[in-house]
Amino acid sequence: MISIPALLTLTFAAGVLVFIIHHTIPILRDVIAITAVAISGYIIWQLSGTTSSVQFSVGTFSFNWGVTQYSQLFALLVAVLSFFALLYSSAFMAKRDRLGYFYMNFLFAIGAMYGIVYSQDLISLFFFWEIMTWSSFMLTIYCCEEAQSVGLKYFVFSAIGAYSILTAIVLIYAGLDSFQLTDVFANFNSLSLGIKITVIVLLIIGFGVKSAMMPLHVWAPDAYEKSPSPFTAIFSGALSKMGIFGIGLVLFKLAAGQGFYPYVQEILAWIGGLTALFATFYAVFQTDAKKLLAYSSIGQLGYIITGLAIGTPLSISAALFLTIMHGIFKSMLFLAVGSVYYRTGTTNMNEISGLIRKMPYTFITVLFGIITVSGVPPLAGFAGKWMLYESLIQSNHYFLVVIIFFASTAAFLYLYRIIFSLFLGQEEKEIENIKEAPLRMVVPMIILSISTLVFGVFPGLLLKPISSVMKYLGDFQHPWETSVLFNNWGNLVDMNTVITSIGVIFLLALIFITIKGYKATRYVTTKDIHTSGEIPTENENLTYAVDFYKPFERALGSVLKPSVDKFFTYFGNLLEESFEHLRYIYTGNGQTYAMYVMVFLLILFMFSELIFNVAL
Amino acid sequence: MVTPNINEKDKLRIREIVENFARKHSLWVLAYGTGCGAIEIPPTMTSRYDAERFGIRGSATPRQADVLLITGYLSTKTLKRVIRTYEQMQAPKYVIGFGSCTINGGMYWDSYNTINALDRYLPVDVYINGCMPRPEAVIQGFIKLQNIIAEGKGNGAEKYQENLEWYRENQKKIIHNWQMPDYNW
Amino acid sequence: MDINWLKVLGLIITPIIAFFVGVTYGGLVRNITARIQNRFGPPVYQNFWDIIKLYSKKTSIHHGWMQHLGPVFAITASITSLYFIPVLRDSVLFSNLSFSGDLIFLIYMMVFGSLGMAMGIGQTGNPNSAIGVSRGLSMMVGYEIPFVLALVSIMIQFHTTSLNDLLAVQSKFTDWIIFQSPIAFITGILAFLGMMGYKPFDVPIAPAELASGPVSEFGGKYLALMQTSRSIFTFAKLVLFTDIFLGGAGDFGTLVVKTFLLYMIPVLTGIVNPRFRTEQAIRFFWKWPTALGIIAILIVVW
Repeated sequence: MISIPALLTLTFAAGVLVFIIHHTIPILRDVIAITAVAISGYIIWQLSGTTSSVQFSVGTFSFNWGVTQYSQLFALLVAVLSFFALLYSSAFMAKRDRLGYFYMNFLFAIGAMYGIVYSQDLISLFFFWEIMTWSSFMLTIYCCEEAQSVGLKYFVFSAIGAYSILTAIVLIYAGLDSFQLTDVFANFNSLSLGIKITVIVLLIIGFGVKSAMMPLHVWAPDAYEKSPSPFTAIFSGALSKMGIFGIGLVLFKLAAGQGFYPYVQEILAWIGGLTALFATFYAVFQTDAKKLLAYSSIGQLGYIITGLAIGTPLSISAALFLTIMHGIFKSMLFLAVGSVYYRTGTTNMNEISGLIRKMPYTFITVLFGIITVSGVPPLAGFAGKWMLYESLIQSNHYFLVVIIFFASTAAFLYLYRIIFSLFLGQEEKEIENIKEAPLRMVVPMIILSISTLVFGVFPGLLLKPISSVMKYLGDFQHPWETSVLFNNWGNLVDMNTVITSIGVIFLLALIFITIKGYKATRYVTTKDIHTSGEIPTENENLTYAVDFYKPFERALGSVLKPSVDKFFTYFGNLLEESFEHLRYIYTGNGQTYAMYVMVFLLILFMFSELIFNVAL
Repeated sequence: MVTPNINEKDKLRIREIVENFARKHSLWVLAYGTGCGAIEIPPTMTSRYDAERFGIRGSATPRQADVLLITGYLSTKTLKRVIRTYEQMQAPKYVIGFGSCTINGGMYWDSYNTINALDRYLPVDVYINGCMPRPEAVIQGFIKLQNIIAEGKGNGAEKYQENLEWYRENQKKIIHNWQMPDYNW
Repeated sequence: MDINWLKVLGLIITPIIAFFVGVTYGGLVRNITARIQNRFGPPVYQNFWDIIKLYSKKTSIHHGWMQHLGPVFAITASITSLYFIPVLRDSVLFSNLSFSGDLIFLIYMMVFGSLGMAMGIGQTGNPNSAIGVSRGLSMMVGYEIPFVLALVSIMIQFHTTSLNDLLAVQSKFTDWIIFQSPIAFITGILAFLGMMGYKPFDVPIAPAELASGPVSEFGGKYLALMQTSRSIFTFAKLVLFTDIFLGGAGDFGTLVVKTFLLYMIPVLTGIVNPRFRTEQAIRFFWKWPTALGIIAILIVVW
């Protein structure tokens, strides 16, 4: 029962089962999905520490699925996030239609992710990669007619990535005559230099599409916005990590030790840094909450790519730590924005404000999410960011430090925007009847928020599995303790002291200011503000939302004018116009095609001696 | 709506002395010029007559201010805004009537649009007469306010709270488009 | 568990000393401003009366629990940052928690207070406050860049991120980092001008334009706690810069002299200058201070 085929059959079978019975008993559909994922999480937990593997052949292809430390990390992350997302979606999607379709594709995506991390040969990797792309595409276009063009953009880019991976796999097979990962890792050096570089570049492009590396990120903002919120949590939290999984394998198993490895590292680190910077700038000026979070995801993935590319033990710990934390906090934030959408019907930040009194649990989730993303102690984002900065300084990437710090400081801008525009600010009349989200939606969010606090104070809980992953990747070692972070120069940060001092002072100050003048402190509404003695009428707009960061936009000037999205659209239009010219040949007319075939056969017949060396 | 209890009759004597001393040496004046007398405020605050020696400073919002200066005549239109601003200030708060118009109507005693006696609408602590009073007179008025505070008699906010119905009656008689919310402290 | 009672005493005394010194500096600044403007100005202990008066206000209002928590976040950040900075060199009483954290942790801890305060300000619902916060955050993006450049160049030069190690390097007068890396010092001071919030970079507060900007709805005890936190934070920032660039101090007299001289740089610049607009301020920080910072790093690397 505890084996990889059982895991995969469980997830895929649950998907098919839900699709079949979704009309008959609605509650059973939710229960089947959630229990399937829960059991799969249990199976993964039991698999850790073992080296169970399974081989079987179909035709001339032999498949090999096995457990490694690297796969356990990602599989556990996927399982936990999917469990919470499915619990959330049982309440979120309750009144929608075509739910069998939704749950089937959701479970297929989860199963495909399990397949990717557990596959030990290239064919099954590609097979599960395609299933994952296909099912996430189906969910991107789930909501409405306008989502179809967005889904098409996602599919085209994923196809580019998939074909790159396929070409790389074919090149590897041509040179090494085997698909098994262990053979590939051992004998990669025997290929010629040109082939090696091509393979690595193609694989990085292929995996980079999924992890939204610039300039291949243009599908991400629209796709994240249009897909339904519980799936976006998985889309951004877990699916993008599959790209990171692949990039990690490429960098540390294939490219390490080669002569051109420093070049690969430098280029990839700079791509990651610039991704972070520009994605953050784009995020600052968005007006839709989900698109803002999407650009923020792209930025955080840029940090992770930089961390992986630098390659020192400290930076790899930082990158893997940020991977796990990004999965947790991005899911948290997307789930919170989803519950705002569930109650109010919109995620446009210019339209709602002042939800803090109506939806306090959602507010606390977003508050914890914001503090984690910005990297402020004592929550978990600080540990990841600290390790990343220290590793950048100590590995002589000075200007990259400044770019990453720039991106990190600009992140404060959009983080404040999302919490201010949705929750703080004026309380308008439209939000009179809004209640808190239902319990099944609040519980996952609160559990994830508490986990950021726990991992912030005890980063060693995550550093323990990460250190075994680093051993697998290349025998890297870095000292760690349950509550202390170290860097290579011997300086440390002791999170115990930090949380004690913050906690004690916070409590003392809170008690002081609550008790002092307790009876004479009272609450006033947000309409009772200093408006120069005037009394604001009911429909007077006192919300500051539109063009929130106009001064910053003016300061940036024309840095944001060139846009990769416009470039790709222009390129696509160019191709379409040139294809119009091909219409002269491919006329779409059956008789023309028949004439082509006749002409071709005639040529073959007339010149048969020349072509086939045989007289007809 | 809970009325905050701002009558602190059973405080320690030493605490009262220290607090009154602090209050009198740090008066924050709301930067609000209600009438033509406001032209005498900039000379008082700037270099020649330097009111900052006494701790007097300008403040931008009523939430942070202590003293409301009614400088000159008050039209009924301004009176509504002044009342709202006065109610947004935090106790203890003081009102200084500045110029003869606040005492008996001054130059505009028979106008249809201005009020004649400020004392009917807001509790006033100190009057400074003149049209307009010179900066030396203004500073003398502030020193008189400081003496009143030091003696413990600067309780205009309590007076307003206790006689609220009387003040409201007078205010509503003269302000015809009374669309303010109920008293919010 | 053996508690070092000396350390606990230091933990209690340090914020109190920081409070007194910070508030006195505030009053001193008002006095100096007044003398430059050819008048007498308030006495040096004026800010104490202000804070006591604010604490003794009889009523206070708030717009929600987040506004109630805003000044609490601010003072938590101020005192915690103060704890992780070695106030006096080689002193058991005053080294507090400086062995458990380093410079990068301090940079982030200093932001914690502004973030919490910004949340509190957000709940008041006043559009002036929101504009003030958006300007303040935009300007923070401006001055953090040269600040980080200066600190990174020093961290690379001395191969450490801990403040105690930087203090140990500056044992003699001629070893002060202001002499060893002058360009980093100039970059740091230009960023310090932005951090202190005096003119020409006080556009977030902008009293006459924005009705005192972010704190326009805070009065009574909330404003008092915020002023307390601000005074302690000023002292913490001054001691941080003294420890990095001016060699720290062995006793309180030297510390007061050095921090006062350092404090005069933003104050005197502020008295005689008008105010930049937000984008002018941001662009100022991205031009010359950033260029000087890059030069400082290049000097260390080559």
